[in-house]
Amino acid sequence: MMKMKKLFGLAAMLVVMALVVAGCGGGQTPASTDKKEDAPKEGTGEKLKVAYIYVGPVGDAGWTYAHDQGRQYLEKELPNIETSFVESVPETPADAERVLTDLVNKGNKVIFATSFGYMDSVLKVAKKYPDVIFLHCSGYKTDKNVGTYFGRMYQPRFLSGMAAGKQTKSNTIGFVAAMPIPEVVWGINSFTLGVKSVNPTAKVKVVWTNTWYDPAKEKDAAKSLLDAGADVIAMHQDTPGPMQAAEEKGAFSVGYNTDMRQFAPKAVLTGPVWNWGPYYVNTVKAVIDGTWKSEQYFGSMADGIIDLAPYGDMVSEDVRKLVDEKKQAILDGKFEVFAGPIKDQSGAVKVPEGKTMTDEEVLNMMWFVEGVDGSIPKK
Amino acid sequence: MGINDILVEMKGITKAFPGVLANDQVNLTVRAGEIHALLGENGAGKSTLMSILTGLYRYDQGELAVHGKKVNFNSPRDAIAEGIGMVHQHFKLVSTFTVTENVAMGSDSWGAILKLDQIEKKLAAFSMEYGLQIDPKAKVWQLSIGEQQRVEIVKLLFRGADILILDEPTAVLTPQEANDLYIVLRKMADEGKGVIVITHKMQEVIEHADMVTVMRGGKSVATVPKDYTDETELARLMVGRELDLVHKIETGAPGEVILQLQEITAVSDRGHKALKDVNLIVRAGEIMGIAGVAGNGQRELAEVITGLRPISAGQITINKVDMTNRQPLDIIKAGVAHIPEDRHNTGLVPNLDAYENILLKHYLDKDFRKGPFILWSALSQYTQTLINKFDIKLSVPEAPVKAMSGGNLQKLLLAREISMEPNLIIAVYPVRGLDIGAIQAVRGLLMEARREGKGVLLISEELDELFLLADRLAVLHEGELMGVLEVEKTDIEEVGLMMAGKKGVKGCA
Amino acid sequence: MRLITLEKRMSPIPMAGMVIPVISIALALLAGGVFLALSGKNPLEIYFTLFQSAFGSSYGFSETVVKAIPLALCALGVSLAFRVQLWNIGAEGQFYMGAMAATWVALTYPEGSRWVVLPAMFLAAAMAGGLWGLLPAIPRAFWKVNETITTLMLNYIAIFWVDFLIYGPWKDPNGYNFPLTAPFELGATLPSFGTSRVHYGLILALIAALLVYIILKYTVWGYQLKVVGESQRAAKYAGMSIVKTILLVMLISGALAGIAGMTEVAGITQRLQQGLSPGYGYSAIIIAWLARLNPWAILLVSFLFGGLLSGGFSLQSMGLPAASVYMLQGLILFFILGGEIFNSYRLKWIGGRS
Repeated sequence: MMKMKKLFGLAAMLVVMALVVAGCGGGQTPASTDKKEDAPKEGTGEKLKVAYIYVGPVGDAGWTYAHDQGRQYLEKELPNIETSFVESVPETPADAERVLTDLVNKGNKVIFATSFGYMDSVLKVAKKYPDVIFLHCSGYKTDKNVGTYFGRMYQPRFLSGMAAGKQTKSNTIGFVAAMPIPEVVWGINSFTLGVKSVNPTAKVKVVWTNTWYDPAKEKDAAKSLLDAGADVIAMHQDTPGPMQAAEEKGAFSVGYNTDMRQFAPKAVLTGPVWNWGPYYVNTVKAVIDGTWKSEQYFGSMADGIIDLAPYGDMVSEDVRKLVDEKKQAILDGKFEVFAGPIKDQSGAVKVPEGKTMTDEEVLNMMWFVEGVDGSIPKK
Repeated sequence: MGINDILVEMKGITKAFPGVLANDQVNLTVRAGEIHALLGENGAGKSTLMSILTGLYRYDQGELAVHGKKVNFNSPRDAIAEGIGMVHQHFKLVSTFTVTENVAMGSDSWGAILKLDQIEKKLAAFSMEYGLQIDPKAKVWQLSIGEQQRVEIVKLLFRGADILILDEPTAVLTPQEANDLYIVLRKMADEGKGVIVITHKMQEVIEHADMVTVMRGGKSVATVPKDYTDETELARLMVGRELDLVHKIETGAPGEVILQLQEITAVSDRGHKALKDVNLIVRAGEIMGIAGVAGNGQRELAEVITGLRPISAGQITINKVDMTNRQPLDIIKAGVAHIPEDRHNTGLVPNLDAYENILLKHYLDKDFRKGPFILWSALSQYTQTLINKFDIKLSVPEAPVKAMSGGNLQKLLLAREISMEPNLIIAVYPVRGLDIGAIQAVRGLLMEARREGKGVLLISEELDELFLLADRLAVLHEGELMGVLEVEKTDIEEVGLMMAGKKGVKGCA
Repeated sequence: MRLITLEKRMSPIPMAGMVIPVISIALALLAGGVFLALSGKNPLEIYFTLFQSAFGSSYGFSETVVKAIPLALCALGVSLAFRVQLWNIGAEGQFYMGAMAATWVALTYPEGSRWVVLPAMFLAAAMAGGLWGLLPAIPRAFWKVNETITTLMLNYIAIFWVDFLIYGPWKDPNGYNFPLTAPFELGATLPSFGTSRVHYGLILALIAALLVYIILKYTVWGYQLKVVGESQRAAKYAGMSIVKTILLVMLISGALAGIAGMTEVAGITQRLQQGLSPGYGYSAIIIAWLARLNPWAILLVSFLFGGLLSGGFSLQSMGLPAASVYMLQGLILFFILGGEIFNSYRLKWIGGRS
């Protein structure tokens, strides 16, 4: 029996360690904005309860952090609501469905689900609770009480690509990419188009991590790109891991989600960022006013849901000017990122001169433009 | 220390455990420069005495002086501080570490771990001085048993021990390795160290020791210089309590041959030959006794017959059917009952209850199963019958049998085995550790089995038991049969000599 | 100098099986309470929420059962192996293999009716899980290769194999390249009770517990397991085949975990995807041990464990960050496991040495 005790101890240790590691991953404590104590008792003058489920911890300094900034903004702007969130919820139905149901049972009337993987869970739970409004970020399925929302991230991505294309000396730019899904693919494409618009000889080398949130893995992926000759690292991940890898190597980087200069001040040129707050305020307002309708919201830079982060000190005045001009053109509706001619990797023209890709086409984009060095895993 | 100075002096050492007087007025004197053999059968009190010397036990009465200083050690640490070191039968080495690392760990000071290269140099010096060749960088698992033993000795030397105790050091060695060992031991003695060798091999004592102390029944019966004694005397001293006048109550009526072993050779767990060309016959209606000092192949003999150990050469025939290297289940089905040496963990399962322990040999029995299911009611009825018939005392049959006394455990085991209606019973040390009442009951059961015409192979270390029960006697020594004797026509002297390794005059049966 | 030492108990304390876990849990809650109070929360409120959300409502209760089903099946599997001193820590991999095999059936026969597809998925899962248990059993039985390491390593192989399939050949053609298989057709989904998510896997778990109980208590084979587990020497002495026992036990042990994988894909996710198991196979080891390998106790402990896991997320809405919830769960486990030692040991005050 002795041996069994040892083994048991080992197993126990593994499980406890797993919990602790998961705990550590959580990082920071969430801002204690949950004013449970102030919440009025059921019945009179009830506040509207709004809840969020996050795929990562609010301290990820990236994707989830950006959403939580939006949540805090919402709470500040609209006095008569109460928000809460559940973080680090796995994208499996086993947990996601329960957490969503739990939030409904707690009296939440509007629920934002902020990761693609929640899509089917959201639809399933939404069917059971038709009087609760669900908003699913980055998905493509809607229902009477389910809307989706996302932003035309390809706009600021294109701009950040211009900055990167101007900065690179080796003409090799690394891109740490999460999952081979359209959202990431068109992100890489718009970035590459931006690079090529100022530096036609540069290449964008792609590495897949198959994870949204794994700081160590993302950092390693960036290192492998740096070793392969990249001197600028761009990314589509939830954490600043790749930025730090670039900083350590003395290379440059393009952030994502939030202004990432604080994590790698010498490396970060700029980056496309989310600004969810205004959208959250408008949506919840619409719910309160009774004007909300299910839709597929796809916001642009002009709407303010996305933007380009402030430039790092190393970005020269000339480059700033060049990029700012393009930004203004986008804001004015004078420039379209996915306007022809656009060639794919084989050199074949996919979008002919004079044509612009429709939203539908962009959202289903599963091919790389010319200049991308990498491949999309085939079925 | 000069040659001949007294290193250890034990006077009237007495140590009692509950119910046992393990050491009774033992005297032992070990001088610098001598190899002192401590001779005796199992249970004679050698281990207890050495445990006192190495600080594992405190003695109750008597006097122990080491280096002329009176001591009664509180812990092994105290003994080590006095320069006493012991090489156990089972080595205490970390097999994935190198020789040097093992020596460093054994040195009892953490600083040593940091000075591995210094230790290596010292090891080289030792090998020069004593002829202890070992590669300091070798990992222990790569070493032969003999080399591992050298590592143990070096560990002691490194700690500065000048009183070395070796427990059965040659039991695991080849004859060549044994010789080399004694050359090393002699050199150490010549350097002024005292060497105590625990053994029961008389040959070795005569060849290598300077002094011999013989122990029997917890007492030191004699201390003699080797030159003034011989194997015959030592054998008598070791075995030789005057036999209580044994009146054979009954003898057998040997019939058909049930078990025949031809030229059996088998290897022990440690990989050396445990049985060499053994020929033996057991007939129906007789008790065949196997005598010998424990550890001379008895266990392997029983295992070979019952299918628990494969043989590398020879043939085993049971009831005229060739059963060489068959599975234990086939042997059981052939009607062989087995009362193993280890009744607690082999013959019985301590954590199971009486029913389940009876089931151990009946689980395939049609009487006790229906399809995949056990017929618990039939089994409990049968168990109750056995409990009554064999007068087994237990609180409830549903309790784990580990709660039962040794005698009742053995009766339970015997009840199961004998009631299987076997042709042949292999009984290994069946009365070891039992009290008088239980001993008589067990012996009675064996005699009854003989009366019923069963063949019995009785392995025992008690000569009087063998003389009382057996019709014929075979003596095992280092895996060889020294001869087969008619009990009526031999005496304890002859058996003692054969146990010491003298071939019998009458040859093998 | 140490003043307190652990001493082996000569006799187990009466009712230890009940008393010690209860005391351990009390201590765990106490320690957790201090931690919560320090971070400015009301421990009583938090504990009440935990209990309430895990067991207090019919919804919470049903969700706890949902978690308990795979835990119980895996724990029953490993308990059989543990009984014969085989340290199968590969339930996680066996679970994934079962899920994979079931998915293969579901994707290959999308048109099939429930009556055909579900039994086929069940069999495929049991066979795949069983094979994954058998694989390390073969070197163990014949060459004494330590099964702790091999079963653990096979976990990774199984998980990466599943990854390969969902990133590659089995990827949902309509899933925008997301690493998921296509959702199962109705024929490949396990029905559930009422509107809850408690699926018919529950029945399988209950049957499995009953079967394990019957095998151990009433069958010759169960008896052989007991003997082999207690003393291999006695088993050999009695003519039992250790090799056969090892192979068979690991086969069944793996099959049970494989079935757990099938119920999870067919009952809950209804497709194969990453992160299917949040460590069910590892938690099962702890559950089997806490339940002292007793099948009925395994059901109970799985249920409690399920509550701890499922209740955790609702604590977040009390303003407790995910990290703190994991720590609280870890703390509770730590105390329960730590308390185990007092079943066989007791504290002894030794003071200074005389």
